[in-house]
Amino acid sequence: MSTRRRKASGGVAYPDARGTLRERTVQALADGTLRGNLETAAASWGESRDAMRRDHGLDAMRDRARDIRRRNIRELPALLSEMQAKVREAGGTVVRAQDGAEAARYVTGLARARGVTVVAKSKSMATEEIKLNESLTDAGIEVVETDLGEWILQLAGERPSHIIAPAVHLNRGQVATLFREEAGTDDVPDDREGLVAHARVRLREKFAQAGMGVSGVNLGVASTGTVCIVENEGNARLVTSQPRIHVAVMGMERVVADWDEAAHILQVLPMAAIGQDAANYVNLITGPRREGEADGPEEFHLVIVDGGRGALRGTEFEEALSCIRCGACLYSCPMWKSVGGQAYGSPYSGPIGAVITPLLEGPASPTSRDLPFMSSLCGACGEACPVGIPLQDLLVRARARASSPATRRSAIVFRAWSRLWRRPTTYRAWMAGWRLMLRARGKGGWVTRLPGPGAGWTQVRDMPSRWPPRP
Amino acid sequence: MTGALVDDLVASLARRKASAQVMPAAEAARAAARAMADAGVARAVLADDPLMGDLGLPDALRREGIEALLWPTPLNRREMLGLEGPEDSCGVTVPRMAVAERGTVVLEASPGHGRGIDVTNRHHVALLPAGRIVATLAEALARTFADGHPVPSAVSLVSGPSRSSDIEKISTLGAHGALSEHVVIIT
Ligand code: SF4
Repeated sequence: MSTRRRKASGGVAYPDARGTLRERTVQALADGTLRGNLETAAASWGESRDAMRRDHGLDAMRDRARDIRRRNIRELPALLSEMQAKVREAGGTVVRAQDGAEAARYVTGLARARGVTVVAKSKSMATEEIKLNESLTDAGIEVVETDLGEWILQLAGERPSHIIAPAVHLNRGQVATLFREEAGTDDVPDDREGLVAHARVRLREKFAQAGMGVSGVNLGVASTGTVCIVENEGNARLVTSQPRIHVAVMGMERVVADWDEAAHILQVLPMAAIGQDAANYVNLITGPRREGEADGPEEFHLVIVDGGRGALRGTEFEEALSCIRCGACLYSCPMWKSVGGQAYGSPYSGPIGAVITPLLEGPASPTSRDLPFMSSLCGACGEACPVGIPLQDLLVRARARASSPATRRSAIVFRAWSRLWRRPTTYRAWMAGWRLMLRARGKGGWVTRLPGPGAGWTQVRDMPSRWPPRP
Repeated sequence: MTGALVDDLVASLARRKASAQVMPAAEAARAAARAMADAGVARAVLADDPLMGDLGLPDALRREGIEALLWPTPLNRREMLGLEGPEDSCGVTVPRMAVAERGTVVLEASPGHGRGIDVTNRHHVALLPAGRIVATLAEALARTFADGHPVPSAVSLVSGPSRSSDIEKISTLGAHGALSEHVVIIT
C-alpha cells in the first residue's frame, strides 16, 4: 500500500507541498474535473444545510454555540486539567505535547514499545497536523486510513482536500481504478454500492490485524473525561473497539465543560458539517475497557496537542480557537470552491485554514505566509460559521500580520505618501509636479504610459494629461 | 406522552433509513426473529440482557433456524468481523435510551453489552422498551452522564445504518458498520 512520504517536522503546513501557493492555485483552476466535483459537493452541502436552517433552527443555535466555545477557550487551562484528571481516574493515560513532533514521537514510541505492526486510523485532522503517518511509516509500521475518503486518498498518494469530506474531488471511475490497483485485480465493481462493499471487506482485513487504533477527537468533555468522536461510517467505532490500544489525538482547544454544553455542540456540528441533524455514530469514550468487558481497548491514551494554540489565547486571534472543524466555511468560500483544499498546502484549508495555518506555523514561515490572501473577503465564511467566528475580520488581521518584505516596503511608501499629502504646501507642490509630468508625457491629451508604480495603472487604461481633457 | 414519543421516534428512524416496528412484549421476539430471517441472517450475536430471555428471543431465533450467540461470544476477531464464518450476521442490542427527535438509540458498553455488537455485524436489531424513549439528545446525555451514575467506558449514539458519502458525495449505506438497522419498540 502506498503511503505519502513526508519528512516529519514541527510545522503544520506540508513542508513539501509542490510549488508556491500561486502555482498550486493556477494549477487547480486549470483542472476542470476538480472544479466540477467541488461545485457539486458544495451545492449539495448548501441544499442540506439550508434545510437545517429551515427545519431545525440552525441559525438560532449559533449564539449559544458561540458563548459556549468562547467561555471554553477562556477557561481552557482549568478545563484541560479537569479533563486530564478524569481520564486518569478512568484508567487512561494523558500526554500533553508541546508540538506536533513531540506528539508523533510519543505515539510512535508507544507503538514500537508494544510491538505494533499495523495501525488503523480513523479520520483526524490533528494526526494529519502532527504528521503521524510519516512518523509511524518511518518506524516501519504500516498505517491504514480506514475512513473511506481518507483511504481513497491514501491509495492515490494525495492529501485531504476537505476537513469533513476528504475525497470530494475524485469521481467514481477514478476511485474504481485506485481500488483495482490496490487489490491487484480487475474484479472490482464500478457502482457506488459495490465500491463501498469492496472497501468494507478490504479494510476489515486491516482491522483484524491492527494492534493500535488512532482516532482524532471532536470534543472532549472535561466533567467526565470523555472523548466524543463523530462519524458516519462506523470505522471510528471499529478503530476504538477492535485493536488492543486506542490512542486519541486531540487539539488542546477541543474541550467543553460538561454534557449540557456537549449536547449543544454535538447537535450543531452535524447540521453545519453535513446538513444532517444527527451523524450516524457518535462514540463517547471514557478510558479503556472496564473489568469484565469483553471488547474495547485494554489501553487508552489521550494525546493533547498544543502546537501553537496556547499562544493564541489572549491575542486578537483567540476566537479562531473556538472552531469545531465543521467545514462549513470551506463549502461557503468562493475561493475554496474554485481550487479545493490541496492548493492550500496545509491540512487546514479554506477560510479557517487560511487563518489558522500561518498562526500555528509562526509569522516567518514561507509556506503559509500568503494564505490569508486566499480570500475575496466576501464574508460568506463568517455567515456560515455555526460558532460565530468572524472569519473575515480574522483574515484581515492575519493579512496585517503577514509582514512579508514586499508589504513592509509598501508600508514605508504609504507612510511617506501620507506625510506628503497631509500638509497643504507639500500637497500643492506634489500636484504641481504631477501636472508638469503629465503634460510632458501626454500625447493628444492622453498619457498612455506612466513611470514607476503608475505603470500598472496605465497598462489597461490611459490617463488624461489635463483635466478636464482637451483634445 | 409515550405514544407521541413513539410516533416521533418511528418517524425520525425512517428519516435515518432505519426501520421500526411497534410491538407488545408477547410478540416482539417473534417479530424480531422474522425480520432477521427475512434479511437472510444466519447468525445473531445477542447482548446479554435480561430482556432477551424475558422476550424469549433465543427460542424464537432457533425456530427460524438462526444461530444465537450470547455476549461475550467464543468467536475470534476474524469471525467477529465476518471475515470467516457466515457473512450475514446480526447484532442484537438493548439500548439504554432512544432519542425521539433524531432517531438515535443510546448503547452503553458493559460486561454483558459489547461496544462492537452493532457495528461488527452486517445487520443491527435493537430491542427498545418504549418507556426508555426521551425527547431530546440533551436529556439522553444528561441522564447517561448524571452525577452518581458510574460513567460507562463507551456510549454509542447510533442513528441509522452505517453510510458514507465519500464517493461523489452521494450517501451509500453499509460502509463499515451495519447495512441495516431495525428497531423493535416494545410497548
Ligand atoms: S471556522 Fe467555523 S465554519 Fe469554519 S470549520 Fe471552524 S467552526 Fe466550521
